[in-house]
Amino acid sequence: MDMIVNTIRMIAYDQVREYSFGDNNSLKEKLGIGFINPEDFKKLNLKSSLNLRLTNNFGSVVIKPKEDKDVPIGTIIIPVSIWANQITGIENDELVYKNIRVSIEVTSDSVLGLKDILNSINE
Amino acid sequence: MSSKRVTCSGCALLCDDIIVKSDGLYIDEVLGACLKGKERFDQVTAKNRIINPQIKKNGELEKVPFNEALNEAVNIIKNSSRPLLYGFSTVSCEAQLKGIELAKVINGFMDSNSVICQGRVLNKSKETGITLTTITEIINKADLLILWGANAAESIPRLLNKALFSRGKFRMTGREIKTLIVIDPVKTASFGVMGVRDIALQIETGKDIDLIRVLKEECCKADSIQDNGVAGIDKDDLKRLLLHLTGAENGVIFIGQGLLRPQTREDVIKELLELVQLINVKQQKGRISVLMLGGHYNMAGFDHVALSTFGKNHSLQFSNNCLIETSETIVSKIEKEDFDCSIIVGTDPVSHFPSILSKKLMKQPLILIDNKQSATSYVADVIFPSAITGIECGGLAYRIDHVPIELKKIINPPTNVDNDEKILNKIINALRGV
Repeated sequence: MDMIVNTIRMIAYDQVREYSFGDNNSLKEKLGIGFINPEDFKKLNLKSSLNLRLTNNFGSVVIKPKEDKDVPIGTIIIPVSIWANQITGIENDELVYKNIRVSIEVTSDSVLGLKDILNSINE
Repeated sequence: MSSKRVTCSGCALLCDDIIVKSDGLYIDEVLGACLKGKERFDQVTAKNRIINPQIKKNGELEKVPFNEALNEAVNIIKNSSRPLLYGFSTVSCEAQLKGIELAKVINGFMDSNSVICQGRVLNKSKETGITLTTITEIINKADLLILWGANAAESIPRLLNKALFSRGKFRMTGREIKTLIVIDPVKTASFGVMGVRDIALQIETGKDIDLIRVLKEECCKADSIQDNGVAGIDKDDLKRLLLHLTGAENGVIFIGQGLLRPQTREDVIKELLELVQLINVKQQKGRISVLMLGGHYNMAGFDHVALSTFGKNHSLQFSNNCLIETSETIVSKIEKEDFDCSIIVGTDPVSHFPSILSKKLMKQPLILIDNKQSATSYVADVIFPSAITGIECGGLAYRIDHVPIELKKIINPPTNVDNDEKILNKIINALRGV
């Protein structure tokens, strides 16, 4: 299934705050997430124990899905962070942070922590 | 314990009505700040704050004396022929100026966060012209506020307090005569402040250009709107939007990140700026202006400092200690791996950039000047801790509306922690052998 990802700044899921006051767990819990419409949640047969793998030409990332009725159907909203930037990219020498097409699959793989993400980028 | 009225450097709004109670050593209480502002003051004692110089030894960061970190940084820079300098949007204008001096000394390429953010609007305005406004003018005169792809309630939290809920000097009334229009595909927190006379336009994702083109067409030729509307917005709402745009005495469009996207097929910003000009020609009562919503507190500052120093607001390439023309940007430089070390000041590109760029950035030695832990601080080879501007040191910053505001020091920084300008100066002096 394909969906559109938009990365946005959210005051409750702010990376500067998590880096300054949080720890590895809170970073992952607050930033390695994505908001989707409850209808999409249902369509994908998601459960609280399952995660979503988002993949496109730029890369791949596993995020914890959360329901939000204000998100349009077919869209995933991800707070701006290193997790979101695994699937953002470059077009025409400009950075693409919005309207990114991804294919999604439900997975039981866990969300990577910051150090694991950094290691995966470095590989 | 004394109370002081200070300016907050939590975001680009630079609120100058914050009360801080302090004994000169610690900040005891902060009154009037938003969540972002409060967090900025809390950074002083944040548990993950960087307060020691560090260098990477055997793959691990180790605390070292300042001079050891300085020697390591100088070695990296001396062994580099294509250094890259990036960031500078959360430092004072004085530090930005010093950064430019460093770039000139080491023949580096320099860019600020502005080039991937609101600087893109400024660059586009070189082709179209731009009608800007100030926060003061908005408070005192505005009767129409349009948030376009902008979630002001969360990115610049007190903007709406000031712009929407204020009672202006030249208005008999306040909020009750102001109309808020939010154009966004996502029902963000900014939709939550809307009243009965306001208009919520939940546009289809990526269809802003269609809306702009219809508005432009309608400005030239009445009744050109199709019956089924456009971009998920129905005909009546479109007419109301146009009526407000052409009938407002003083309207302002806040351009948010939602409108900034690669212009491969269409140029959203250029067409929006053209629409504003078109409306202003048609407008009989007043005018429409734009305000760019950049988040970092001195993002606009770099554009001014670079422009006033070298006549160019971004992408400064030096060779033989002189500025030379280049079509490269920070993105193309990293993408082509046209650099052999980076000096990052007050930002976190490893988190902010797509991983395909972060990977390339991490391949080369990285020197970081910052006070906050970040993904970049984990991978840096040398880290210099810096004082927090607006709290532990003063300096000039340009507000979101490009008005210069003086930030003042409230308390002393931790022992042996310098401000960004001093650190950059020490690097320059060490490179010159002073």
